[in-house]
Amino acid sequence: MKEYRVCIIGGGIIGTSIAFHLAKLGERRVAVFERSYISSGATGRCGGGIRQQWSARMNVRLAMRSVKLFERFEKDAGFDIEYRQGGYLLMAFTEEEAERFERNVKMQREEGLDVEILSPKMVKERYPFINTENLILATFCQTDGHANPHLANFGYAFAARRLGVDIYTHAEVKDIIVQNGSVMGIESSIGSFKCDVVVNAAGAWSKEVGKMAGIDIPTTSYRHQIFVTESLRDFFPFMAISFDGNFYIRQTKHGQMIMGQGDPNEKPGVNRNVTYEFLKSMSEKMTKIFPFLENVRILRQWAGCYNMSPDAQPIVGCSKKVNGFCYAAGFSGHGFMLAPAVGEALAELIIKGSTEHVDISFLDIDRFEKGEVEIEGNVV
Amino acid sequence: MKTKLLIVGGGPAGLSGAIAAAESGVDVLVVDEGLELGGQLVKQTHKFFGHQGFFASKRGVEIAKILKNRIEELGVKYMLQTTLVGFYEDTAVAYSREEDKTYEIDYDYVLLATGASEKFLVFKNNMLPGVYGAGAVQTLMNQYGVLPGEDFLIIGAGNIGLIVAYQIAQAGGNVRAIVEISDKVGGYEVHANKIRRMGIPILLRHTIIKAIGKDRVKGAVIAKVDENFKVIEGTEREIVADTICLAVGLQPSIELASQLGVEMVYIPELGGHVPKRDENMRTSKRNIFVAGDLSGIEEATSAMAEGYIAGYTIAQDITGKDLSEKINKYKEELADLRRGPFGKKVRSGLEKMGIVLPSGGYRTDLQKDFGPAGKLRAVMECHQNIPCNPCEAVCPTNAINMGGNINGIPHINYDKCVGCMMCVMKCPGLAIFMVQEFDEYSVVGIPYEFEPLPNVGDKVILMDRNGEDVGEGVIQRVIKNRKDKTHVVYVAMEKGLERTVRHFRVPSDEEDEIVCRCEEVTKRDVEKAIDMGFTDFEELRRYLRIGMGPCGGRTCRLITMGILARKTGKSMEEISNMNLRPPSIPISFGSILRGEKE
Repeated sequence: MKEYRVCIIGGGIIGTSIAFHLAKLGERRVAVFERSYISSGATGRCGGGIRQQWSARMNVRLAMRSVKLFERFEKDAGFDIEYRQGGYLLMAFTEEEAERFERNVKMQREEGLDVEILSPKMVKERYPFINTENLILATFCQTDGHANPHLANFGYAFAARRLGVDIYTHAEVKDIIVQNGSVMGIESSIGSFKCDVVVNAAGAWSKEVGKMAGIDIPTTSYRHQIFVTESLRDFFPFMAISFDGNFYIRQTKHGQMIMGQGDPNEKPGVNRNVTYEFLKSMSEKMTKIFPFLENVRILRQWAGCYNMSPDAQPIVGCSKKVNGFCYAAGFSGHGFMLAPAVGEALAELIIKGSTEHVDISFLDIDRFEKGEVEIEGNVV
Repeated sequence: MKTKLLIVGGGPAGLSGAIAAAESGVDVLVVDEGLELGGQLVKQTHKFFGHQGFFASKRGVEIAKILKNRIEELGVKYMLQTTLVGFYEDTAVAYSREEDKTYEIDYDYVLLATGASEKFLVFKNNMLPGVYGAGAVQTLMNQYGVLPGEDFLIIGAGNIGLIVAYQIAQAGGNVRAIVEISDKVGGYEVHANKIRRMGIPILLRHTIIKAIGKDRVKGAVIAKVDENFKVIEGTEREIVADTICLAVGLQPSIELASQLGVEMVYIPELGGHVPKRDENMRTSKRNIFVAGDLSGIEEATSAMAEGYIAGYTIAQDITGKDLSEKINKYKEELADLRRGPFGKKVRSGLEKMGIVLPSGGYRTDLQKDFGPAGKLRAVMECHQNIPCNPCEAVCPTNAINMGGNINGIPHINYDKCVGCMMCVMKCPGLAIFMVQEFDEYSVVGIPYEFEPLPNVGDKVILMDRNGEDVGEGVIQRVIKNRKDKTHVVYVAMEKGLERTVRHFRVPSDEEDEIVCRCEEVTKRDVEKAIDMGFTDFEELRRYLRIGMGPCGGRTCRLITMGILARKTGKSMEEISNMNLRPPSIPISFGSILRGEKE
């Protein structure tokens, strides 16, 4: 039976980032099991934003570390991922949200993040193509940005493979073998493998994978729809987002506008179908704020799943109940942007027993039992 | 019809025999099946190896013309489109297709120069239209100007397979690969190098298992073989091709020799059953001679030498003149041609007939010296002992020498080389290049036989000896060689590349073979990505953005899958279909806003 030190379940950005960082730390006895193909889950379906402007302090730190790693991505992984630090414009359309933003910015600045507060007039001056009617204020951080999620995912996978990691695609993990409270290995559609550590990086399916080890991962998956337009000239370098307005929009390197929203009425479960209702409500909302869209054509829509945790913050760590069972799940829609820092931290935790670059203890699953929960508000 | 000497076959052996005999005053009749004299020579557009002065560095078609002119000068009678159907006890009968009638021929001597036929190969579906012998492909292409397909798979990497592949490429065909069952190329290395630097793979230890297609060839399944030539299971893969060209060897055409009742021997080194003959090409019957491939599979130059030997010997018999000087000259020529490693097979075959030929005695060491940097000079990449010396003969300053024997490895004396590039234009193997280093860049002069010629200033993609892209260069000079048609193209490139670049290609329309029109993804992009490791269709799509444009994948989906199937050997069924997402045509925000529910 083939033996590994670490078997990672899930070949999305999280799983491949962990694999890459493990290999970078010198642990090459690593395998990634992907049920379908690389980037087939939420990674390949996400908007690609990379943001540091969070309401929870720990998230700001984690995101700032991620940005550091994204800046180095091409050098580290040898892959151009169309990374662009074009900034993130957070738009508040209610007084309540505006107040919250101001509080957040204070905290973010304390953490050393360079964030501007913009009046609607300033926004209009900078970005005349935005209709600032009803806008109360906006915040802007230039070092935020976006990248191509597929390429980032492939980048990690290829770099990990080059370092000696085995990446199995179309290989489904069926069970995790636990004996006397310790992980012993996995059973998969391509055979059984021994290992000391299993990492649950299964995204939308993290709860099901948790059950295989007898651990309840308190996550629920919800569909999020998204679509892309035809290509326009390059004029929209940043990501614009609003939480109370419930949207995000950015332009890809190829000129296409990509945008989406959350649906509070969405039922839990993995559903990747698309609805026309979504197109209608987006069209109405987006053409008001971005009138230039009126005559722009929509090319393609699709859906992916947010794997939501109770506090909209990731669940990352290693189980104290089952020795060798680790998890990086419940990213609540921002797994892509946190993947570099989380991958690095979890790899450090597995290899060295503690993290070196950024503290992730606040993300451990324990917090739900202890009741130490801070709900992250900056989520679409 | 009456003749002193009846020659059957108007190829290089038969025509040479006719010239020798007619020159000596013998009455000759040549009977040939073809439309024109020259046999296989008329399809050979490549330059021949051998002695300068004995047709070396001339193209086969030109040699055919020279021989034919000489035949006509000498007043030799010949009948074309005529087959010698039988040597009977009472008479010899020839059938003219054109006249649809037979002729009885009365003769004193016969020179059989019937050549060889192509071996066939057994594999599944080998009867499908689109499976050709190499000779047929050459006939269609070089004689009638018809390219029988677009994508070719060549079976066999002997000289014929290599030459045909090169000619197909010259004619604009796409050679997918050459498949060779043994672990080495059988033909000359210089021929193989011409193929390799164009990027055509030569797959050693591979064989064809079956042709794919219903009504005609659409592809082939090939596989690796082990040392016993057994197919290694699991190594099968598909190659897309509409033409499969077999170049798996020749067998002597012995039918008429057998009818004449001459003694036959089975000698595998000579191609199987061959008529037994002496060193003057005389068989067991005093008045029956053989020459060329019938007497042992070799090549055109030795066939001509054998023809001359047979012709002069017959003339000596008939006229009583002493022609031994001429006969010995051609025997020496033959001995030289067979002295090297490529003559070994024929030498050992002939030894079984009691004909012993010398071997060795030529230079084998390679020139290590690349010449003085900065000087415009020739560099030779001729690393096998093949009997060939046009470079030595043509060099005006005697800078090139073979070391005293035609089979020697050529060396250049760089003190004497003046950079005139005569040798580059002359070399039949296209194995000589010009090189010069400058402070900022280097220049390589490449022998080039493709149309159209590039223009000065054109940007080209530089290729190394294996056909891999190694950078970009600019055409600096184009030296047209109207006579020989081996042009020399000088390409400027980054310094240091002069030691690796041996070919180039013009990034033509073919370069921009667009697979995905919306996102401008080329076939090359797709192939590169597959080589990188993107073997899942969805991964490939996401990496290259195939199908992410306005057409929604209508153009690119199947094409990409086809490329993926071809490159990975997966079937189309195995390749996951792409998710086709709404809207199926682009619709504007405005059209949605103006939408009505009822």
